[in-house]
Amino acid sequence: MGKLFKTNFTTPVIVLIPACIGINYLGKLFAAVLKLPLWLDCIGTCIGAILGGPIIGGICGAANNLIYGFTTGDNITLVYALTSFFIGIAVGVMARLGYMKTLPKAMLTACAGGFAAVLVSTPLNIIFWGGTTGNVWGDAVFAATQAAKMPVFLGSLLDEIVVDVPDKIITLAIVYFIIKGLPKKLTALYDASSDIQSLD
Amino acid sequence: MKSISLYTNNGSWLTKLHPFSKIFYLVAAIAVPLISGHLPVFLGVILLSILLLKSAGLVHKAFPLLAFSFTIILTVVIIQGIFNQKNMTVLFSLGPIHFYKEGLLYAAHIGLNILNMLLSFAILVLTTSPSELVEELEKKGFSPKFGYIINSVFQIIPQMTGTMNTISDAQRSRGMETEGSLLTRAKAFLPLISPVVMSALTSTRERAIALEVRGFGGSAKKTYLYSHPYSKADQVLKALSILAVVVTIVLRVVHVL
Repeated sequence: MGKLFKTNFTTPVIVLIPACIGINYLGKLFAAVLKLPLWLDCIGTCIGAILGGPIIGGICGAANNLIYGFTTGDNITLVYALTSFFIGIAVGVMARLGYMKTLPKAMLTACAGGFAAVLVSTPLNIIFWGGTTGNVWGDAVFAATQAAKMPVFLGSLLDEIVVDVPDKIITLAIVYFIIKGLPKKLTALYDASSDIQSLD
Repeated sequence: MKSISLYTNNGSWLTKLHPFSKIFYLVAAIAVPLISGHLPVFLGVILLSILLLKSAGLVHKAFPLLAFSFTIILTVVIIQGIFNQKNMTVLFSLGPIHFYKEGLLYAAHIGLNILNMLLSFAILVLTTSPSELVEELEKKGFSPKFGYIINSVFQIIPQMTGTMNTISDAQRSRGMETEGSLLTRAKAFLPLISPVVMSALTSTRERAIALEVRGFGGSAKKTYLYSHPYSKADQVLKALSILAVVVTIVLRVVHVL
């Protein structure tokens, strides 16, 4: 357990966090520019989680939403800091367990991240929005379940699953190819299990 | 380079306030209506926030923020108005669709709460420079490393958007299509984002070395460049905010509200 959450707060790791937050922002921006029906706003969080470990992933996610919430006035993202935090933790833990080595394994990581997002977001959606998510597809599902007199919780859960799980699968596929292409001299900087040997 | 922060120094009295007193107002403005739970209280606080923004000449800058949330509020109103499970009394009908009183009241609570949060945040966000807020937090014991993370985000994002534009142009000049069917647009995503991400990650290495050289990891006590003492207006705003929350809780406990 201790090894799973081991984190080095060295300067490279600290510098990684703002870079990841920037990447999150760009992912969201590109998705908006290309008018894709996805969020793709946690690419950076996943990269941070895979390179720096679960704690760094969690910090990337939470800091991302807190910073945007407090500075761009988009305080709707503020409540979802908790969701991003748990996505970071889930992806980080899966990566430490070795579930980032091949593409099929990365897809399992994506499902873990997606379900972490669903479990945390659903209560938040119910508290703040009465169950809707603000995504067209998801809200259509929610309206259908409500018309069929299903419980709000179930409807909201389905609403989230429809949106979050495909989003995370695509995110993690992108992240997988990016991480594959990173040079070793860079990834070695963040390796928490490495130790320095002295020659004398 | 365009900053992502909405702060502009227009010299109004709100920008001169201490960041903490604006945070006190923010917390009180969100807490008071939620504790009381009455629609008129929500409206009152919203009006107060608008008046404060007006006095600082910032109302026109707050409206784009509201427009952003408008579609979400509209969805909530439509879905709750038609499908809320507690719906009993029909308020009005548009053709075959009935809107119910219970659902609409519920949607009004959610909508006003969102508007109220947006406006009270607008007061903080439009009038406080992020770096000033971070510096004041650091003086109160906030970790300087986290302070660096926050400040650095504001430098990195305009830089990365710059790189992003360069890369979009480069890829387009090589014949990549960024418009068209969903598949074409989806295929454009990876060649656009991966070079930016790669360059952002590789530059962290250089940035880390540059910071280390300047003593970033050092444990010596840091000093501050600016000081921002509490003014009279700050004291008043802080005291009023705390008072408002306490009074609401007391009224709520003795069942006056």
